[in-house]
Amino acid sequence: MQPVPLFRARLASAPANGHVAFIPQIRKLVFEYCNDWPSSANTRTFLQRELIPFARDNPHVEIVVKQRNRKEPVVRGYYVNGRDKVIALNKLEVTGIQKKLQLLLDASGLKIKPLKRRTVESTTEAARGIWSGLHAERPQL
Amino acid sequence: MVYGGVSRAVKTLRAVSASHLPVFPPTQATKSSFDPQTWGQLQPPPSTALSAFAHRIGLGAVLTDTDDILKACTHPSILSLAPSSSSQPIETNAHLSTLGNALMGLFATEYVNATYPYLPTRVLKAAVTAHVGPQSCANAALEMGAVPLLRWAPKASSSAVSWTPQTPAVQRTDALASIPRALTALVYHHRSLPSARQFVHSYFLLSRQVDVRSMIKFVDPKKALKEMVAKFGRDPPKSRLLKETGRFSNSPVFVVGIYSGEDKLGEGFGASLKMAEYRAAEASLLAVYLTRRPPDDLNLPTDTFPRGLGDIFAEDAENEGDYLPPDLPHAEVMYASGGRSGRIASEAS
Repeated sequence: MQPVPLFRARLASAPANGHVAFIPQIRKLVFEYCNDWPSSANTRTFLQRELIPFARDNPHVEIVVKQRNRKEPVVRGYYVNGRDKVIALNKLEVTGIQKKLQLLLDASGLKIKPLKRRTVESTTEAARGIWSGLHAERPQL
Repeated sequence: MVYGGVSRAVKTLRAVSASHLPVFPPTQATKSSFDPQTWGQLQPPPSTALSAFAHRIGLGAVLTDTDDILKACTHPSILSLAPSSSSQPIETNAHLSTLGNALMGLFATEYVNATYPYLPTRVLKAAVTAHVGPQSCANAALEMGAVPLLRWAPKASSSAVSWTPQTPAVQRTDALASIPRALTALVYHHRSLPSARQFVHSYFLLSRQVDVRSMIKFVDPKKALKEMVAKFGRDPPKSRLLKETGRFSNSPVFVVGIYSGEDKLGEGFGASLKMAEYRAAEASLLAVYLTRRPPDDLNLPTDTFPRGLGDIFAEDAENEGDYLPPDLPHAEVMYASGGRSGRIASEAS
């Protein structure tokens, strides 16, 4: 009986981001602010004062600033997996905006899933081996 | 600005019939050569996106010119959309991709061969494909975030019909796969061959996992093991039943070990004696095939290339590295004598 042949075009490797080289998952940050309304005041302060040093510190992120009048201030983070995270900035101070930006920079873009129910997930088998009754010593009383 | 006044005006409008107006001809009837769809596909991504991409993959200091990055992200199929009489010809990654593909194949082959010295040749080739083949390159491009930067078209050339055997349609996987290859060639161009090797090692060989075990397929492992043991000059393999349980029940378990003299070569379990012996032979062969050299002991032939910018053809003894060739392992066993049938003992033909 012949085994199933390998199809060369379908051979692929599994990703292991970070084993040697790490690719940050954030791709682009889009800031939307209003020019007149007071809810965007802190955002405008941040954009005028802190944005350029922030962009210099993170050259791997493309930063876009959009003026959207009569709308609330928002920052959108676009990730490598195609998803995006949107955070409203209208009730935040400048330091609060910096904290939310750090959250976006550190995120992976994946959907938030509860970790409390998940058992161990791994690509490798158990390090100590699975117990086998035929290989263990017989218990002696 | 009047807020809220617009919606009230919309509600008071009455429906107006347009049947008395002349019917415009369809878009295809006009002789205009401008197609907004094509124009949109040809537009390059913003230079900030290209620069961010270079920094994201750690090549911010190497790829300082965004035109290089744009060239690496442009597949030659885009030329099928470009107007023939354009002032600025679009630069594509055709040459870079070919060069990069050759370099990646070189680095991957020497790495896999050095890491698994006893791996059968066909499995070695499959492992190289798994590391740097089209699917892996496309996946790597996806994970680097190159998808919004890719410029391509499904047609091979402007004169081609949608698909013929001579001009197959371009797949998005192939267009994406050309990007990491072009990046490898750019690193080689701007720096040196050892730098290109470091790029390929970091992104394709060490940061990606390949299951080599699943690529090794057996037809007659007992026969292959017999020939391999004879080649190594050891005692012929003998299978011995180590443990058993439930022989006459509906779920027996047998554990068989294969010995060469006093050394146990491998062990296998099974629901029948034959199956257990089969698995034991498989385990013995795998123990040899998957022998792995530790990464610190790896000696790669490309170590001899000089680091830094320079002429690889010039005599430069100080800049060159040392290469100590390892001992050549035993070649894999062949079923028929002289290797004429082409069947290899450890794999299906």
